[in-house]
Amino acid sequence: MTDRTDSFEVLMRQSQNGDQRAYASLLKETSFFLRTFLANRLRFTNEVDDLLQEILISIHKARHTYDSNRPYKPWVYAIAKFRLQDYLRAHYSDQLRHAIDFDDLEENLQETVTETAISFESISGEVQKLPEKQATILRLMHQEGYTAKEVAEKMGMNESAVKVAAHRAYKILRKKLEKNNDKYR
Amino acid sequence: MTNIDNLIARLAQDEIRVKLAPHPFILSFQWMGAAAIYLAVSLALSGLRPDLLERFHNTWFVAEIVVLLGIFIVTSISAALLAFPDLYQKRNLAWAPVWMFALFLLTLFLAWHADSSPIPLPVHNFECTLGITLMALLPTVWIFYSMRKYASTHSQLAGSVALLSAFSVGALWLRLHEVNDSIVHVIEWHYLPMLAIGIIGLWLGQRVLKW
Repeated sequence: MTDRTDSFEVLMRQSQNGDQRAYASLLKETSFFLRTFLANRLRFTNEVDDLLQEILISIHKARHTYDSNRPYKPWVYAIAKFRLQDYLRAHYSDQLRHAIDFDDLEENLQETVTETAISFESISGEVQKLPEKQATILRLMHQEGYTAKEVAEKMGMNESAVKVAAHRAYKILRKKLEKNNDKYR
Repeated sequence: MTNIDNLIARLAQDEIRVKLAPHPFILSFQWMGAAAIYLAVSLALSGLRPDLLERFHNTWFVAEIVVLLGIFIVTSISAALLAFPDLYQKRNLAWAPVWMFALFLLTLFLAWHADSSPIPLPVHNFECTLGITLMALLPTVWIFYSMRKYASTHSQLAGSVALLSAFSVGALWLRLHEVNDSIVHVIEWHYLPMLAIGIIGLWLGQRVLKW
């Protein structure tokens, strides 16, 4: 391939006419330059690989919208940018969901994170009623004895998020237990 | 790297011969042709306003219809371009509706300014919006169905422009059918709701044109 830019258009034209070898060669060449494009924008290699696969599938799905009279690269980059934006949007919205509420953190900063005066077994019924993630965190920390850091690793969260989730669970439990105590007084 | 190689091998084994998408200009001409027939049939069934010839002597009415027609044409072309991932490498043309809408607003402003002895408002109001919406339903379905066959990377904008294109058909129909010369009414119940529809189009595009 002496003139790559020109050959992309030729390869795509051959591909659209059913030439499988030309298509494989085109996708391979495309994956080379897209890998560099993605590596400059994403932090981890596995992210680059995942997204590259997704982009190649998108190119495959949209191949009928390419007209070989137009340059190939702008068409490919349009798809790549679109998928990258989609990925980043999903990634950041996921991070926001796991973000720490600083007001909560300040409020609970003085409290111990991993210790409670009540045994886990005595309140396990109430723990089961908590949202699944909080219940799992409490079970791992108080029944199975993992540290917040270990729980974070196990659940793919960061340590602070685990501590905050545990705090929120404690607050809910405390309220419930206080309510129950008031009832029996 | 092995994953990528496997994927490439798998994709290449697929049936890769495809029916190519038509040029966006041809696509938009198809839409415009179908919409023109739809508009003509609708006007034939519902009837033209009886004072239409007389109204065509009014500069601002003519300007309004011409610019509305311009919006329909430009949004149809833009929607067709927006259905392609790279906007068929005609970015400027894809954004042309912005200029057309600016011209439309200017025309409406001048028409309103020229309306020195305001014509009384008609007794009806939301019925016009409803009429435009009903009239635009079929072109909306058709244009979205057609756009879904391609691969828009600007789905929100594409949805908005497509919806505006469909609603401009409805707006044209009503202006040519209804005997109503109050520019205030026309702005309030024909065109402002149409702009709101453009915002709904952003939402609709994101959902319907996903691929």
